[in-house]
Amino acid sequence: MIATIAQSTTSARHRLSASRGLVTVVVALMILVAAGVLFAPSSLSKGAVLGMLPFAAVLAIVALGQTLVVMQGGIDLSVAGSVSMVVVIVTHEAYGNDARVLPAALAALAAALAAGLLNGVLIGRLGLNPIVATLGTNALLYAVVLGVSGGTPRQTTDLMASIAGGTTLGVPNAVYFSVLAVVVTTTAVKRTVAGRRFEAVGANGAAAWATGLMVQRHRGGGYLWAQVLYWLGGVLLAGIINKPTAYQGDSYLLASVAAVVLGGTSLLGGRGDLVATALAALFLTQLDQFVLALGVTFAVQTLTQAAALAIGVALYTIRWSGLRRQLRRGSAPLPVT
Amino acid sequence: MTEDTAVAVAESTMVLFGISKHYDGVAALTDVSLDIRPGEVHALLGENGAGKSTLMGVASGTITSDAGTITVHGELVEGLTPAVATEQGIAIVHQHPAVLPDMTVAENIRVAVPARFLNDTGNQYEAMRRMLADVGFTGHLDDRVGSLTVAQKHLLELAKALVLKPSLLILDEPTAPLGQEAVDTLFERVRRAANGGTAVVYITHRLAEVRVLASRVTVLRDGKVRGTARVEEITDDELLALIVGRQLDSTFPPKRGDAADGAPLLIADGLSGNGFSDVSLAARRGEILGVFGIVGNGQTALLRGLAGLESFTGTVHIGERAFTTKDLRRHSAYMPADRHREGLMMSLSVRENGALSALTRFRRGPLLSRDKEVSDIDRELASLAVKTPSREAVVSSLSGGNQQKVVLVRALLSQPSILVADEPTQGVDVGARAEIYRILREVSDGGVPVVVASSDAKELEGLCDRVIVMSRGGVVETLLGEQITEERLINAAVRATGHSRQASTQGAKPVVGSTRLGRFLQGDYAPVVILALVMLALGSYVLSQNSRYLSSFNITSVMISCAALGFIAMGQTVALLSGGIDLSVGPLSGFLVVIASFFINDGRSVIVMLLGVALMFLGAASAGVVNGGLIRFGGFTAVAATLVTYIALQGLSSLLRDAPGGNIAGSVTNLILTKVGPVPVVFMALVVLTLVMEYCLRYRSWGLRLRAVGSNEDSARAVGVRTDRTGVLAYVATSTLVCLGSIVLLAQLGIGDPAQGVGYTLSSITAVVLGGTSLLGGRGTFVGTLFGAGLIVQVLNATVFLDLSQTWQYFFQGALIVVAAVIYSQVRGSRAGVR
Repeated sequence: MIATIAQSTTSARHRLSASRGLVTVVVALMILVAAGVLFAPSSLSKGAVLGMLPFAAVLAIVALGQTLVVMQGGIDLSVAGSVSMVVVIVTHEAYGNDARVLPAALAALAAALAAGLLNGVLIGRLGLNPIVATLGTNALLYAVVLGVSGGTPRQTTDLMASIAGGTTLGVPNAVYFSVLAVVVTTTAVKRTVAGRRFEAVGANGAAAWATGLMVQRHRGGGYLWAQVLYWLGGVLLAGIINKPTAYQGDSYLLASVAAVVLGGTSLLGGRGDLVATALAALFLTQLDQFVLALGVTFAVQTLTQAAALAIGVALYTIRWSGLRRQLRRGSAPLPVT
Repeated sequence: MTEDTAVAVAESTMVLFGISKHYDGVAALTDVSLDIRPGEVHALLGENGAGKSTLMGVASGTITSDAGTITVHGELVEGLTPAVATEQGIAIVHQHPAVLPDMTVAENIRVAVPARFLNDTGNQYEAMRRMLADVGFTGHLDDRVGSLTVAQKHLLELAKALVLKPSLLILDEPTAPLGQEAVDTLFERVRRAANGGTAVVYITHRLAEVRVLASRVTVLRDGKVRGTARVEEITDDELLALIVGRQLDSTFPPKRGDAADGAPLLIADGLSGNGFSDVSLAARRGEILGVFGIVGNGQTALLRGLAGLESFTGTVHIGERAFTTKDLRRHSAYMPADRHREGLMMSLSVRENGALSALTRFRRGPLLSRDKEVSDIDRELASLAVKTPSREAVVSSLSGGNQQKVVLVRALLSQPSILVADEPTQGVDVGARAEIYRILREVSDGGVPVVVASSDAKELEGLCDRVIVMSRGGVVETLLGEQITEERLINAAVRATGHSRQASTQGAKPVVGSTRLGRFLQGDYAPVVILALVMLALGSYVLSQNSRYLSSFNITSVMISCAALGFIAMGQTVALLSGGIDLSVGPLSGFLVVIASFFINDGRSVIVMLLGVALMFLGAASAGVVNGGLIRFGGFTAVAATLVTYIALQGLSSLLRDAPGGNIAGSVTNLILTKVGPVPVVFMALVVLTLVMEYCLRYRSWGLRLRAVGSNEDSARAVGVRTDRTGVLAYVATSTLVCLGSIVLLAQLGIGDPAQGVGYTLSSITAVVLGGTSLLGGRGTFVGTLFGAGLIVQVLNATVFLDLSQTWQYFFQGALIVVAAVIYSQVRGSRAGVR
């Protein structure tokens, strides 16, 4: 047995370990592309892909934030209010004036951080249930949304549109932002002391406390970092959409959780796969595109999302090996050796 | 052999024959046969991982074997389940008590014990009190079980098993958490049961207990039977040889002889904290300090104090340096008794667990160096001889002993100032034990103070250079060197507790609910009173601002809205009580209205309308089955499953109607909105239903089962609750209640609109939380939910009368839920961060 440690040590050294979530999402993406080629080539046209990518990028960034929260065994319902708030602050404060974009974005960041702090204190420090706490925060954020906007949409500024909506080297700028977000977040979680501790706290808070870690700070911190990512997503969204509504963030609540779950991060907390989350966001967005290209109704589009999510989760949760064994046993009982 | 078996079948209580069980290809049991006869105490011995608990899981129906037969009372039983086992008179006391923490002692008994066993005198409570007194349980019937000590929980388990007058009683390491006195009571009761003809299977690690109690003994090793013998015909050495498969010369490393001189390295002076008081101790360099005492006399508390996990007064010096609680938590290495809860991150790898406390040393620049980390981990894994398939293996796949070694790897890599080990060899096999002793000795030799608490005096005798004996939180004796013998340790502990009955009673007292006010505040109904007061205050204020507030029109409209939300929130309460959550209630309510909008229109016949109502209920039930099925049989978390249904229901709604349409018949609307005075009938129906369901939740078996599943699913299953069925039915009940809500909604909306209803998901959760139901499951009330729904509707209504904008509506909703949640959590004293 001890010899096997040494063996696997050498073989594992250079092995690129791909998590189950990553494999699943990559395979799903390939199937989706293949289906696109066969049934709806228009969903893979240059125009369609360039139109899809910025939204996939925003969802990826927002879902990264949700992943951090889910890794702590939490869930962040305030993502809807937060993204909406950032969008309205940026579009209303910087309305028609490029010079005010930066101050407006910073003001939005401050507000998002305040929301993250509130979540962090309520959940990390006071030990509230994440659903309850973020539900409350979400309502408070929507109070801000309505206070700032009165519920009416405003046009984005030219500067915002060119930064968030523009392309560089033929690739939408938002994609660069999302890749950067993935790299920075992944590195922070997997390759820094704080990140590894963060992961450990998510996996078992009581044990982390017993080893001397600042459990409350890590647990609350997840919500704070998540808000930074929501903010980035919201700012990009405010530039990508010409005239964003006051409720623009609503669609990101379910979608971000769906991306996290499809990416293989357990809603019970613990290990998170950030790259898989981002790719799952791409998958979900392209799935919409694909279904749209088939020319079906909104209803069918929604049902397809539900089916994709159900299949995605089932891939992780159902013990296929056990099921196979059972089926095999049912057909031809094997003598147990 | 076959003849033997045939004879045995005729007279045996249970015969297990050729039992095999594999987990993911690894054999846990291979061709195990065991026959258990009435009136005998049959000891089952073996190392951890030998398959003892698995075998008894098979015997009690919680585990299904891959092969083999089970014969009970001479009859072949196919597909043994816990419920069938109970019918057959098989009772098991699990190593980890299968109790339901959110329910009271009485409720725990009622959910597990069929009523016929409690009705011999006609007074259930009297019967329960008697069965508890019989095993020396001292708590109160109305205590919440979560607040009992571990020993008391075990006694409760034992009482539950014995009252069934079982023909086969299985005890899985029952003495592990018990003090000496409780052990004596236990043995006495077990003997009495055996004399009465009960067959007892007694799983243990301790040879001494086998000698005292058992008539026959079977040894398992690596999932195979190594031998069965009458106890008087086999020596301890022979037994040990069967268990470990090799002769052990000495399991303990040599003690340090020259430790007597030199200045003390660890000095603690006048330590007092929760569970221990005025403890002073000292240990020289190289000495291992043992802490002994009857379980529950402050040893664990003292160790947690020394590890910095509990605050204390007094001083701790290691070498020259003084350590505060905070310093200790950062610089100590703690090996907890409960490895799963406090020791390891079970879902992370061996490497990640081992490296956790030493991460700062692996830093290169701002990032971690994988090479440094891997080389350190591999070195420690090798030197501690950790048996693992690879360093990247998930730590939960390791055996108990190897998991404990991973805890040690982490402790050693962290270069601690002090090593504190609570029951370091609990659940660890003999071979790994010796290695753990060796490692502890090496750490001590390396100049790090080592403190070990154990309930096994023999262990401390072999390991320690100095032992303090604790009683009632204080040190009653300190033994050194040759003085440390099992006899003297036990003597000191027992003699010190001359009033041990009192001491153990103290230890057994629940820590909460001691005063009436405390009991009320911690109870389930406090939120109701708080909400009522808030509603009254808010109502008076609004009335003072606007006299039309109490107009009968407004009262009616508030009550109608409250009825819609109320029914839906009741449904949500059921889901939460079962330990889940239902995000799909909102879209479901909208979907059901859309269904209705095709049938319940003006000009339709009554039959068609009734068909529509039937379809609504059918649709609701289907949604519930899908939710419950995904969670129970698809392994989905509640959030994931109901999220899928949420999206799917939205899709279905817009599939049926892509725009609002299908006006609801006016006659039906009027019928639904019938009033008595200003009070709508639907509201009265809601109140009545709430009260009925509240009663059922407390006193009917389905209510108890529902809360049992929510409180602790494994325990619920172990006491015979069909958890999957209960879980699925809970979601069906949720959806059915939502359906009642959407009938009210039908009248309110008057049209089928695919976009409506979604908001009820969040507002129903808000209502339930305001009502004080725990999102962790098992605790809550329907009455509270009713008040919660009332308050939400009242607040929204008040903003209209106070002429406030929508901003304020959101603000009040957000503030309400946050404030309520903070207050409840503070009152219930949940400790943040550590759960």
